[in-house]
Amino acid sequence: MKHTINESEFAYRIRQALDESTLQLDSHTLRRLHEARQKALQRVSTEPQTVPVWHRAFAAVGPRLTPEESGFSHWLKGVGIVAPLLALVIGVVGIKEWQADRFTSELAEQDFALLIDDTPIDALAHQGFSAYLHASTESL
Amino acid sequence: MASRTELSDFLASAEKRAYKQALYAIRDPDHALDVVQDAMIKLTENYADRPASELPMLFTRIVQNAVYDFFRRQKVRSTWVSLFSSFLPEDDEADPLETLSTFEAGGHNPSAEDEVDRNQVVNAIEQEIGRLPARQREAFLLRYWEDMDVAETAATMKCSEGSVKTHCSRATQALARALKDRGISL
Repeated sequence: MKHTINESEFAYRIRQALDESTLQLDSHTLRRLHEARQKALQRVSTEPQTVPVWHRAFAAVGPRLTPEESGFSHWLKGVGIVAPLLALVIGVVGIKEWQADRFTSELAEQDFALLIDDTPIDALAHQGFSAYLHASTESL
Repeated sequence: MASRTELSDFLASAEKRAYKQALYAIRDPDHALDVVQDAMIKLTENYADRPASELPMLFTRIVQNAVYDFFRRQKVRSTWVSLFSSFLPEDDEADPLETLSTFEAGGHNPSAEDEVDRNQVVNAIEQEIGRLPARQREAFLLRYWEDMDVAETAATMKCSEGSVKTHCSRATQALARALKDRGISL
């Protein structure tokens, strides 16, 4: 008959033994662990880190701020991140506006040509209509 | 955010277990101490702003990753990994760490004393823990020594919950069998 063991109970007894083993560490190991802990604790910043939310959002793309930085230099670094983004947005909006204006002008030219009966109505259905208009305008 | 005192207290309470876990995996006291020191520094440098309640889980993961990093570095240096390459992994999941699983090659001592004092029992258990395949040992220790549940253990080990259960079950069976062969009953 196969003997089955209670995993949790067995593990609990193993755990007790392992806990005891940590009490048997030699003085050299304990001293090294203490030194390691002290070394690690020295790396903890003594001041609370007050990093603004927007900086967290741009942490990957912007310059890294240290807790010591504040006031004007802090503001300047913020501008350094926001200004290029603002310029990009303005540029995209400008290009879109310029393209819309150009499209409107082309439509106006076509309407004008139709109104002066210079364009046959069948030409509207032709794929080369725009080229035809340009050619007609140049020949005038 | 954990205070400096909370961090210090936590590290003091966790450092011995972390060292033992690193030692079982790495089997070199100096390297194990280095790994634990690196893990402590990573915790204080990167996660000191986390609540104290999150520290145990974070530290356990950092220690495990530090052990993995140690083995990766060892592999690159290509030193003693080849010494263990003849040992086949015992688990279904292929894992390079499995090749580092066997500690102190050689059979158990069937003529071990029936009556051993507690220290000898503890030492025997530690040796058998060290003999377990790496993934089994990791799952067993995280689950039953670090008190993680199955989901947390799976997340730390980056494997499925089913694998964790399998590893724990196999580790328990292997430990029980090995200790019984030594004449130790728990």
